[in-house]
Amino acid sequence: MDYTNQKHPQNYSQMEDLKTLDLEESVSETIMRDLRMIAYKLKYVLIPKEQEDNGKELRNWDLWGPLIFCLTLAMTLSFKADSTTSSSKSDVFAIIFVLIWVGAFVVTLNAQLLGGKVSFFQSVCLLGYCVFPINIEAIIIAFVGSYLPFVVKLIPVIICFAWSAYSSVGFMASLVPPHKKKLAVYPVFLFYLFLSWFSLIV
Amino acid sequence: MQNFGSNNDLDEKGHVMTDQPKIKVKFEPKPKPSTCPICTVEYYQQFFDIEQRDVYMRIRCSLLSWKPEFYQCVGKNPDLWGPLWISTTIIFILFAGGNLSRFLLEEDKRHFKYEYNYMYVAVLIVYAMAFIIPIILGVIMKYILKSELGVFEIVCMYGYSLSVYMFVLVLCIIPYNEAQWFFLMCGLANSTIFLLVNLWDFMKKNKQTTLIAVPIISFNLALILCFKFYFFRLIYAVDD
Repeated sequence: MDYTNQKHPQNYSQMEDLKTLDLEESVSETIMRDLRMIAYKLKYVLIPKEQEDNGKELRNWDLWGPLIFCLTLAMTLSFKADSTTSSSKSDVFAIIFVLIWVGAFVVTLNAQLLGGKVSFFQSVCLLGYCVFPINIEAIIIAFVGSYLPFVVKLIPVIICFAWSAYSSVGFMASLVPPHKKKLAVYPVFLFYLFLSWFSLIV
Repeated sequence: MQNFGSNNDLDEKGHVMTDQPKIKVKFEPKPKPSTCPICTVEYYQQFFDIEQRDVYMRIRCSLLSWKPEFYQCVGKNPDLWGPLWISTTIIFILFAGGNLSRFLLEEDKRHFKYEYNYMYVAVLIVYAMAFIIPIILGVIMKYILKSELGVFEIVCMYGYSLSVYMFVLVLCIIPYNEAQWFFLMCGLANSTIFLLVNLWDFMKKNKQTTLIAVPIISFNLALILCFKFYFFRLIYAVDD
């Protein structure tokens, strides 16, 4: 389904026009429009062949998508966490939430310090959207994980971790000079490894 | 051919010239003099001016700790990338590996309780060791003992001295007491020798050997005792 034919803004001037219509439309319409934008961006970020313009679409960054995925992941994992210790669930929620936002902040700061010229929020937006595959595998493991042996659980974890890392690495590596690529990419890898590890062990 | 303007002359490339000359507007915001230069991002960019090959060489220098080559490796370019990401990797290994080590020893694997406190304690201990202690030591050395070494050089050195623990702590996942002690002792020796060997010149020149060597050795020792007795403690099931 091609969302570009609908009321999806192609550039900032169209977004400005749409803003004047916001107050006149119903709440459900506003929510659906935001959800369609999130879905469009998600498709753009996660399916590499959609990116023909080297990440220019990310200039229309938003933090709703990352927030939704972060909350979903934190809630899935804390729901699944051991309930015999009362603080476990809140520990898991707090760790995941802080990890995602502070992690995205530090990884972006690292890229900027290495000389990358990128808008801070663009990068945080991308890293947040790439958390989506880890969300999927957390949900899969939450529902069927207890019936599967450890080795079988490892397969979706590895696939989704590789998918997340691969989607964001292309963008991050393009920000910095070539001889610093690995220095910008390693923190991204570590960030998704941390999150995947959590979804595996909880 | 489209008529862009009244002037139909062609320029050297054969394009039609328009009336108005192209005006290039160069907007360069003047850098504001900051009241706190050390608080800006630009100040720290100088510490990230390294390549992946440099990081590899510095880690290699630190692993071959008995050779006092760290200053040749670093030159005038101490970096903060190494200390930051080496310590973050160690935090991950402590959190994942510490729990994994307990899991391997656990008989009742279905009811294994993950200890999330490992995360908080690991963050506290490792970042204190990698940043707070070398900053204090660096400040003492630079401002009280008048060394030529800057604070960030000491931070860089401490950060790379922790690189051996990345490998040692992975090996410590093996849930055998003797093996864990052996690996931790190797890590302690490597890390301490690296720091002492590279600070030896300064220590001899200022005759302040004890004042510097004792805190270095004691903090490193405290670190591995924390690793062993908190993260990798082996609690065997006691038969009644």
